[in-house]
Amino acid sequence: MTQTKKLSKREVNKAFWIYQLGCEESNSYERLQSLIFCASMIPAIKKLYADDKEEQKKALKRHLTFFNTEGSIGSSIQGITLAMEEEKANGADISGSAITSIKTGLMGPLAGIGDSVIWSALMPIIISIFIPMAKSGNPLGGLLPLIIYTAITMYISYFLIHRCYTVGRSSIIDLLQNGLIKEVIYGANVLGMMMMGALSASYVTVTTPLKIHVPGGSTIVLQTILDSMLKGLLPLAAVLLIYWYMQKKGPRYGVIIGTIIVISLLGSFCGIL
Amino acid sequence: MNNTALAVVMGLYFWFANLRFGYTFSGMLKQPVCVALVVGLITGQMAQAMTIGAGIQLMFLGVTSTPGGNVPNDPALAATIAIPIAVTLNMNAPAAVALAVPFGILGVFLDQLRRTINAIWIHMADKDAEKLNYKGIYAAAFIYPALVGFLIRFPVVFAANYFGRGAVQALITAIPQWLMHGFEVMGSLLPALGFALTISVIGKKKLLPYFFIGFVAVVYFKAEIMAVAIIGVCIAYLVRKNANKEEAS
Repeated sequence: MTQTKKLSKREVNKAFWIYQLGCEESNSYERLQSLIFCASMIPAIKKLYADDKEEQKKALKRHLTFFNTEGSIGSSIQGITLAMEEEKANGADISGSAITSIKTGLMGPLAGIGDSVIWSALMPIIISIFIPMAKSGNPLGGLLPLIIYTAITMYISYFLIHRCYTVGRSSIIDLLQNGLIKEVIYGANVLGMMMMGALSASYVTVTTPLKIHVPGGSTIVLQTILDSMLKGLLPLAAVLLIYWYMQKKGPRYGVIIGTIIVISLLGSFCGIL
Repeated sequence: MNNTALAVVMGLYFWFANLRFGYTFSGMLKQPVCVALVVGLITGQMAQAMTIGAGIQLMFLGVTSTPGGNVPNDPALAATIAIPIAVTLNMNAPAAVALAVPFGILGVFLDQLRRTINAIWIHMADKDAEKLNYKGIYAAAFIYPALVGFLIRFPVVFAANYFGRGAVQALITAIPQWLMHGFEVMGSLLPALGFALTISVIGKKKLLPYFFIGFVAVVYFKAEIMAVAIIGVCIAYLVRKNANKEEAS
């Protein structure tokens, strides 16, 4: 097989930018990210199937089928797809449905990695590090997370799309089986847990003003007793109770917020909180 | 600063951030600390805006993208309404957090509306693919969602800012002391929701001891957040091999 049709760095970069800019913009309940995935393949499709209108149509249609993943790590699927489209255009025996099944096979596992690293760990960790700065009124507390988070995630996506285009399918299977990615997720989770502990202690500031008047004139301040047992007992209890409820019943936001509102208002009215 | 102009800028900001142009960039633009930066620039009360932004941020810390992209709460709608109103009315951070709550929930419906409407563009793209109309596909992916998004989002935030300020002001002067204090208690409790949600999305019960390490480091050793972050990175590096052990067990 002769490699006559070859994508240049230009088409790969275009795919990268189109997807990174728009991967959530056109997201719909019907087919989620399929529209933007298709759009990101256009420069490559035009080049690879330049002389065959029918193949262009087929390629567009196969990339308009259902697709959804986490966009930062998911750029690796673009890289692999570009590599496969290139092979196909050069006459390799790859059916359109083979490309679709590789995409749909990878989108789930990669969304899992992306959601747990990029959104559940990296984003809250970066924001939390600069929260004290923001709290003290420093604008850098908003600006630095924006710059740092965007830069790190864009670098990861850029690296992955080029790497996966060059090395092809095997690269992503290595990545999924490689122990390194598990170590990164685990490490990020450990750090995330410690940050949540530190932030709970710093920013959940609920206390009780309750005083008990004992016959004989002395007064017991409840908060002092609580502090002598465990400092920050009430904030800790609040976080753990909500966490426990979420584990039992799932993240029922409305119920939890409603309960917090009722407890706060009742507590204030009765003078307990 | 003119309040009409502030309402216009907030409406535009909300439209642009929730357009999600730029995947992770817009994900961060939606966060209250970034909204606070803009409110600070416009009102000239940067310190106050950032402090209030940080307070609202904590409640939304764990609210990120969940599988399928359905969010339980919208930090951008809450922030673009609560921060400017709180800053111009000189409210404290806990009261601003309480004000943010209902808008965060309302934001979810706006997002559902957006993603329902977006189904129109994918059908247009199907037809464009048939005709090899490449420009049409790009427009369906970028231009149309932006135009319709403006109609859905700008009016909500503009109106809430423009008319809401007076309503909130009237409310503050009218409500009794215990109720105001109740809102402050709410503001001091709600960050717990953000932290619990983050622990929940990390989803590893076995790692809870690290949460307690971070907690105790602050309450007993008065550690700063940055110190905990550095120690956390070191510990994460030291225990990283446990990841594979856990898998094997």
